[in-house]
Amino acid sequence: MNRREFVKKLAAASALAAAAAMFPGIVFADQQEQELPAGEITWKKSPCRFCGVGCGLKIGLQKGKAVAVKGDPDSPVNKGLCCVKGYHSVMALYAKDRLTKPLVRKNGKLVETSIDEALDLVASKMQETIDKHGKDSVSMYGSGQWTIPDGYVASKFMKGAIGTNNLEANARLCMASAVTGFLTTFGMDEPMGCYEDIDHADVFVLWGNNMAEMHPVLFSRLLDQRLKRSNVKIIDLATRTTRTSTAADRSILFKPQTDLAIANAICYEIINNGWVNQEFVRKHCAFKKGKTNIGYGLEDNFKFKDEATGIDLDEFKEFLKDYRPDKVEKMSGVSAKDIKYLAAVYGNPNKKVTSFWCMGMNQHTRGTWINNLVYNIHLLVGKISTPGNSPFSLTGQPSACGTVREVGTLTHKLPHGVVMNEKDRKMAAEIWKVPVENIPPKPSLHTVEMFRALDRGEVRFMWIQVTNPMVTMPKLNRYRDGALKEDRFIVVSDVYPTPTTDIADVILPSAMWIEREGMYGNSERRTQHFEQLVDAPGDCMSDTWQIIEVARRMGFEKQFPWSYEEHIPEIWKEYSLFHEGAKHGMAPYQVLKSQPGAQWPYVNGKSTQWRFHGKYDPACKGNTYDFYGKPEGKAWIWARPYEAAPEEPDQEYPFLLNTGRVIEHWHTGSMTRRIPVLHQAVPKAYVELHPDDAKQMGIRNGNQVRLVSRRGKIDLPASVNERGKPVRGHVFVPFFDEGKLINELTLDAFCPISKQPDYKKCAIKIEKV
Amino acid sequence: MAMKKKRGISIFIFILLMISAIVVLDRSLTTNQERASLGYEPEDYVPSLPAESGVFRRSEYALDYENMPDGDSFKRSLEDYYENRAYPGAPPIIPHPLVSEQGIGGKSCLQCHENGGYVDRFKAYAPVTPHPEMLNCRQCHAAPKSGQLFKKTNWVKISHPEIKGSALQGGPPVIPHSLQMRENCLACHAGPAAPNEIKVSHPYRVNCRQCHVPVQEFATLKAKWDSTDQFFRKPN
Repeated sequence: MNRREFVKKLAAASALAAAAAMFPGIVFADQQEQELPAGEITWKKSPCRFCGVGCGLKIGLQKGKAVAVKGDPDSPVNKGLCCVKGYHSVMALYAKDRLTKPLVRKNGKLVETSIDEALDLVASKMQETIDKHGKDSVSMYGSGQWTIPDGYVASKFMKGAIGTNNLEANARLCMASAVTGFLTTFGMDEPMGCYEDIDHADVFVLWGNNMAEMHPVLFSRLLDQRLKRSNVKIIDLATRTTRTSTAADRSILFKPQTDLAIANAICYEIINNGWVNQEFVRKHCAFKKGKTNIGYGLEDNFKFKDEATGIDLDEFKEFLKDYRPDKVEKMSGVSAKDIKYLAAVYGNPNKKVTSFWCMGMNQHTRGTWINNLVYNIHLLVGKISTPGNSPFSLTGQPSACGTVREVGTLTHKLPHGVVMNEKDRKMAAEIWKVPVENIPPKPSLHTVEMFRALDRGEVRFMWIQVTNPMVTMPKLNRYRDGALKEDRFIVVSDVYPTPTTDIADVILPSAMWIEREGMYGNSERRTQHFEQLVDAPGDCMSDTWQIIEVARRMGFEKQFPWSYEEHIPEIWKEYSLFHEGAKHGMAPYQVLKSQPGAQWPYVNGKSTQWRFHGKYDPACKGNTYDFYGKPEGKAWIWARPYEAAPEEPDQEYPFLLNTGRVIEHWHTGSMTRRIPVLHQAVPKAYVELHPDDAKQMGIRNGNQVRLVSRRGKIDLPASVNERGKPVRGHVFVPFFDEGKLINELTLDAFCPISKQPDYKKCAIKIEKV
Repeated sequence: MAMKKKRGISIFIFILLMISAIVVLDRSLTTNQERASLGYEPEDYVPSLPAESGVFRRSEYALDYENMPDGDSFKRSLEDYYENRAYPGAPPIIPHPLVSEQGIGGKSCLQCHENGGYVDRFKAYAPVTPHPEMLNCRQCHAAPKSGQLFKKTNWVKISHPEIKGSALQGGPPVIPHSLQMRENCLACHAGPAAPNEIKVSHPYRVNCRQCHVPVQEFATLKAKWDSTDQFFRKPN
């Protein structure tokens, strides 16, 4: 800035200040648009970078940098409030070790190179692998942090252009059971309700969901309602005492995996006491049973296909006889009284009940089943699809819904429908302008199996974007060793060095969040747009544009024709074609740009807050319930039994290991640990022990202990009577710390229906170090 | 006589029981009926953060503030105040050891931070929260356990707003910061924990925004002035 500009600016500044002071509350629009005086902050909207709640933020910008954050008071999600991660989120852009140049491994060492050379190498290596080993030897692994355009071009590139279904995302590790739960019960993915249910519900039942730490902004909305309305109650149904338990009106602890039995016992009580909403069930529900003894996917190439058989109410009642509360008390450790209490809460016709859950139910070897069972409860009493009556599956990533579930970046999915369906394949081929034969009609590898295939050598090339599998894969040692084998080529796109970039042959530096334009979709079907607010450093490029560049290098210019300036709106326009109609219509680009998000189905200029009820959802026939995802518009109530976890504590490994998060850190901590406030609050991982167990072993708070499972071992400081308290015989370890890889101990068993691993239950022993 | 007295007592007890029975029955009946007839409430939308809600809060202490001690030994400076924040307007960290990591904060934090008070251990008055109705304190306020960094950062804290900006000499200064989460002026600008530089000389005047107007944060105030309907009149 030269002297003249400076003087001019100064004059403008003082004039503005004087004017503003003289005319209180009035902004002169013209002046506001003028160059702002030094020290002034411009505020722009964006959804938060972190969890699936999707808070609206206002990002404060000054001199081309993000300098501050506040909650967007206009966002119906968070109404102006954030959590500690959101408030400090912009600091994650500015750590010193940011990846800004492409790196290529030459003779074992990473060497800086030009972006063109790196992209050429990725394209040629991918082509070479396809030529040598076939289309299914290349794969792409993304995440629920992919923006919608990222996921869309990834799907078009892999499934449409190259022609392989080897496309997966880390949401397989976090949301897959929620998806299969929705599909098996309702035939359509994603919650029917919305966050406004919180303002109407009388009772909240949290199923294994430490909401105070994991979805704190929503939990604050619960607390706020409890202050305003004296009848509001929060019930925490969990396996460990957490901050949520202490804030709840009632904390009920159960033995892991027995949530299956508890849910069935609640149904038993509801039927036994005549609390069933007879008319609702008769008109809107059908009863089904599936296969049992379905296995755990521990062996390579595990295959399972469920089969639905129709049953009637009497058969369902017969099935529930094994789940009388007194029987379930013995299995679950929850007293029959508490089970009856829960049933009475759901059964009371005068109470509106909302259930929340997240990883507790999804990371579960019977994840699909437990999702089905909680829907059963809501369906039996008809508490669904109306304000305050809501079975609500929460998400953990900013666009797990928007990208992975809606765009469908999973092996079996297409942006509309599934690869197995010819009509869906035809639709995709037409929009993508590719021959329909390009899209293989069979799903290939789900995440765990994809990493197994990499180990076995069927997959030779993997491109990993916005995720950190070398921290998050269960039974990590096997998959790390597999990735490091000879003749495997790994490309990693990320913003910081991580254990995953350690295994990379090429590292592409990515533009992060508000350094590029994009959209996220949150848990309540809300799509939120953010524009590019700051410049990306160095050679950083958005994940969308990286894929486009590589695709063009491989000869797919026709499928990826967009100009850089227009590619995001163009992609949005093309993607929206897949969802046209009343059931899944998406809001136009301009609408998304102008407001803090819109909820699909977006029909006739309006968001839909509650699906499957004619009063709120324009896709329904008539003015009542219509579960149009299923034939005859009926939701399915499933008979799903209790089946034990694959690895239960025994004599040799007497403790049960549970893993999870803390409020300060998000996922693998690659961003939050680089935010000083958050890192300093929780600098390292630890192991929570029950005080009596600790005492018995002579372990005191802070002592180093060794955890050993059949797959690995790790040393951690003990945490006794600190933040959380596991029950006796259990321990808890957060997974954010790349220096303490707890997933070297976890088991790669998964739900046979959803293929989502269970990170919450495996057997370990504890040794004093 | 004794008989009569006894009978009188039993009649009295009987009537008392009847009345209480009626009251109990009536209440339980009506509450049930109310619940049953509720159906779906009309949407009465109450935003969680009404921008002007907190202005008058704590005004009952205004006179006390006027008479509170003003010793040097425990004074907080504005620099101390900003030291605890990643940027001006960020939620402050918790700079002291905590009794418990369990729980969301709530009552245990509010014991000191709802109304303030002297803490001998820290030789300081506890700062008062401007939003005591938000109970999950640990949602936004982190407690550092270490001074180390995981990786070095290029983050630069911007300077805080300057404390000046009266239009005329001697005129009331404007409010240079966002009011979001800080609608209650007296929480930070009055009392013994208030940083000296921003302590108000006249807390008893209570209606702060009668004279002091915010110059930023128009969106928060819901007073949005589009360029289309700005106040600007041309002579006809």
